[in-house]
Amino acid sequence: MPNSTSTQNVSAKPNRLRTSIILLVVLTAVFLVAPHLYANQSLVFTIMTFIVLAQGLNLLYGFTGYLPFGYVGFFGSGAYATSLLVLHTHLPVLACVAGGGLAAALIGVILGPLLRLSGAYFSIANLAASQILFFVVSNPDLADITGGPYGLKIEQVYDPTASYYCMLVVLLIACGLAAYFRSSGFGMALRAIKQDPVSAAMAGLNVVRHRLIAWLVSALIAGLAGGVYAWGISVFYPDAVFTLDFSVFAIVFALFGGVGTVIGPIVGASLLYILYSAIGISTPQYFQLIYGGLIVLLVLFLPGGLLSLLQRRGINVF
Amino acid sequence: MQAKRTRKTLKTTLKTVAAALACATASFAAHAAAAPGEIKIGTLYASSGPFAVASLGQFEGLKFWANNVNKNGGIFVKAYNKKIPVKIVAYDDQSSTATATTLYNQLITQDKVDVLMADFGSVLTSVAVPLAAEHKMLLIDPTGSGANFFTQKTNYLADVSIPASTVWPVPLAQFLLKQGIKRVAIIYDANDFDASQAETMKTELTKGGAAPVFYKSVPTTESNYNVLLHTAKAANPQALLEFGYPPNDIAFLRSLSQSNLHFDMTFTIFPGQLLTLLKKNVGVKSLAYTYTYPTPPLVKYDKVTYGMNTADFVSAFNAAEKKDPNFLDASGYNAGIVVQKMIEDAPKFTQEDFHQALMDMSDKTTTLLGLFKINENGAQLGQSLPVAQLVPNAKGDDLNISVVYPDDHATGKPVFPAPKQ
Amino acid sequence: MELLAYAVIGGILYGIFFTLVGLGLNLLFGVMRIINLAHGQFIVLGGYLAWTISDRLGLNPLWSIPLSILCAIVIGWPLYRAVVPRLQRSDDPEMLSFILFFGIGQMLTAVTMLLFGADQRSLPEDALGSGSLGLFGQEFPDSWWWAAGVSLTALALLWLYFSRTRLGYATRAVMSERDEAIATGIDVRRVSTIAFVAGLALAGIAGAFVPYLLGSVSPDLGDGLTTTAFAIVIIGSLGNPLGTIVGGLVFGLGTMLMQTYYSSWSNVVPYALLLIIVLIRPSGLLGKAVRLA
Repeated sequence: MPNSTSTQNVSAKPNRLRTSIILLVVLTAVFLVAPHLYANQSLVFTIMTFIVLAQGLNLLYGFTGYLPFGYVGFFGSGAYATSLLVLHTHLPVLACVAGGGLAAALIGVILGPLLRLSGAYFSIANLAASQILFFVVSNPDLADITGGPYGLKIEQVYDPTASYYCMLVVLLIACGLAAYFRSSGFGMALRAIKQDPVSAAMAGLNVVRHRLIAWLVSALIAGLAGGVYAWGISVFYPDAVFTLDFSVFAIVFALFGGVGTVIGPIVGASLLYILYSAIGISTPQYFQLIYGGLIVLLVLFLPGGLLSLLQRRGINVF
Repeated sequence: MQAKRTRKTLKTTLKTVAAALACATASFAAHAAAAPGEIKIGTLYASSGPFAVASLGQFEGLKFWANNVNKNGGIFVKAYNKKIPVKIVAYDDQSSTATATTLYNQLITQDKVDVLMADFGSVLTSVAVPLAAEHKMLLIDPTGSGANFFTQKTNYLADVSIPASTVWPVPLAQFLLKQGIKRVAIIYDANDFDASQAETMKTELTKGGAAPVFYKSVPTTESNYNVLLHTAKAANPQALLEFGYPPNDIAFLRSLSQSNLHFDMTFTIFPGQLLTLLKKNVGVKSLAYTYTYPTPPLVKYDKVTYGMNTADFVSAFNAAEKKDPNFLDASGYNAGIVVQKMIEDAPKFTQEDFHQALMDMSDKTTTLLGLFKINENGAQLGQSLPVAQLVPNAKGDDLNISVVYPDDHATGKPVFPAPKQ
Repeated sequence: MELLAYAVIGGILYGIFFTLVGLGLNLLFGVMRIINLAHGQFIVLGGYLAWTISDRLGLNPLWSIPLSILCAIVIGWPLYRAVVPRLQRSDDPEMLSFILFFGIGQMLTAVTMLLFGADQRSLPEDALGSGSLGLFGQEFPDSWWWAAGVSLTALALLWLYFSRTRLGYATRAVMSERDEAIATGIDVRRVSTIAFVAGLALAGIAGAFVPYLLGSVSPDLGDGLTTTAFAIVIIGSLGNPLGTIVGGLVFGLGTMLMQTYYSSWSNVVPYALLLIIVLIRPSGLLGKAVRLA
């Protein structure tokens, strides 16, 4: 018996690594080719943004069970930090984007105590934190520092092509991290903690530290996405990057695909956002009705997400 | 023998056909390069969300213009020396800037529109500005007045139907100073549209020696003005100005009438733009003796150099849509006729020539919104809105608009201070 | 001093109304662990119901209160049967309810837009008395007093239900310990359905006063009302419906006081209070033990 498990482990690891690499290569290929097939680069850029957000949320929700209603708070923090760095320092844009990610992680550190809460309390407290960030940043009293209600303009670095590739890189980082979570010991530890934190603690796992790392990584991803998004659109008002819509989309997309996996959020975000755009272009007046109905049906009949259809058949989805 | 002849015939036939095809293609291509079958005007509208009411109004006005111009065969395009009909390509952005960004890009890169027109308001216009500049397309901006847009010289932006936020409040400030009002209270929403107006007011009033005695901002979602009215009253102002969106104006005016506070003058923005909506929700009594910026078609321009004048527009719109037009309808229509004149004047059918045509018609063209005057940054410096007071009619069941400033447009004297109700 | 008194009394009145806004949400969470993200949208529907009665039928908008209860039964009962049992059987009912009710909220917003259009609707002042009533010399519109009165009545009725009726006892049992309640033979489905319908009815009743206290009602108000309701419910006590009054009062007072002194920050109040309370005393001011992670 011990023999079979060890051989299983040994052959599983390189398999997972191969799957991860194939996935990253496929993603790169798809998104490198896409702008040549479909000229609306903004649309593809936005799809990538939502995939990153869904994946980042998956890193937290899928592996620790904490659902951050206010996930957009990190996105917005990244957007603002990046833009303020561009406006006030002479750092190159890429450094500012990295700064955006770090700023979001810093906010994650400050909000770390929220992890003490469970379930709905955590979710709503996270939402409250995100709203507070939004209101602070858009307040006229702080207009001199954050632009307040007037928003920010970083048109001097506007570069749709470069920001597109940068978002692709962020996407690869996010999926790479998800693959790591999915296939490493760290990821297994997280899952153990999610299932039964008391036993996990007794087994010697540092529950708090594991959760905190997942939380900070998730925040970092959202911050990077926010920074690149800000670079990509270059002109925005506060509610463009702090809108609750983004949190909701990230959650719905991730759940639709299937959390806890790597390709779930990718599939969910791509399908649903393309559907969202298609309906929006063809029958906009019934748009909200159709979209809402779709979500209701999803939860009632397919709560594990699309990939659960495969998982039910015994296929081990990556 | 037969085979050789057949082959030769075949070859000749093929060559002839090929030549004919080539000629046809060449002429077709030349013809296509010459004139498009229709002029595609791309724009967005919001069917839901906070901007829906205004955006749908503006879109309605634009469609009205397009129907009218097509009834006459289309726009006379100077570059091709013929009339070409217009087609409006429009998508719904649901008041979301993220959706708007991808849809503007769709219009530019997929639909390849000839003229790009923004959605209503600064927020939904903002995302189009860098996109338009990037793709070297002129962005026609009907109602985006945000001061941020017009900070540098550009060939790719033109505000056509609304004064820029930095010039809009100037007539109101001048009126206050002329009336000798020294104590002014300002409550404004924390968004670009209202905050920039408040800032401009504060600067102008301070220059005139009447710096505001009360200057507070509230969140855009503010719906409760009871306490704010009392705090404003504590500063004992003569005039109270409230800069907000329609839901704020409605809440403010209702609170005001239900409290037993009295101010010598109160001012809100939207009764002048959406008078019917405000009358329905606030009531004639609560609007009586308040001040506002009346907008066309409540402000009439009889002598125009281009397009319909106010009276003709109102009756034509009424006949077509079976209802009275409001300011948004007028601004959409105005955007349409500005584009029409632009295409009629531009020597070549290019974005740069379009922009030049706009600059050339600036300060020389008067439409139903007033004098069209843009500067090299794209800001609209004309079309200034006067100040009016809503005065109850003799029976007290409706309101008359009495323009009180500037003097050359005035239709009445202000009733100041406002009588206690 | 005057200003402070005005803010305090106004805050209390406003807060009592917002208790009604949060009550339905708390009831749903307490009994069924459902996070109703469509709560604000149900309130908006209540507002439109009141408008339809007032504008189209010419009746006093207060008639929408019994009508709301009726509609809540007609809509709520089938909605419950269709949706909740499935939710309870899944792995993570709390989180799935979040998504489900978000979807329902979207559909409701769309239907509201299609039926009524996007513009604001208000109710006539005279219907609830267009004057103002004063307390300690501070005057507030009549509609505020009505709203506070109805809210307190609803709270009182809820208290009576919990403490004097068998179903109410059973509901409290389900709220505190769901599994044991099932084990003791309580008809959890009946209790839950009644709570669900009651929650919707409370939302509808609150909606009737929204056009008065917020100036007007429009289809997009839903989300803002939902997040505010959440804040109030957590400040008071999530899962303890009677505790919502504390959350409402804290919210009302905080908002009005902030409006008086630092008006541009008044929207931060509910969320800042929520964060502080959740970090210091997670069970809310009135508390019910919450299992810390």
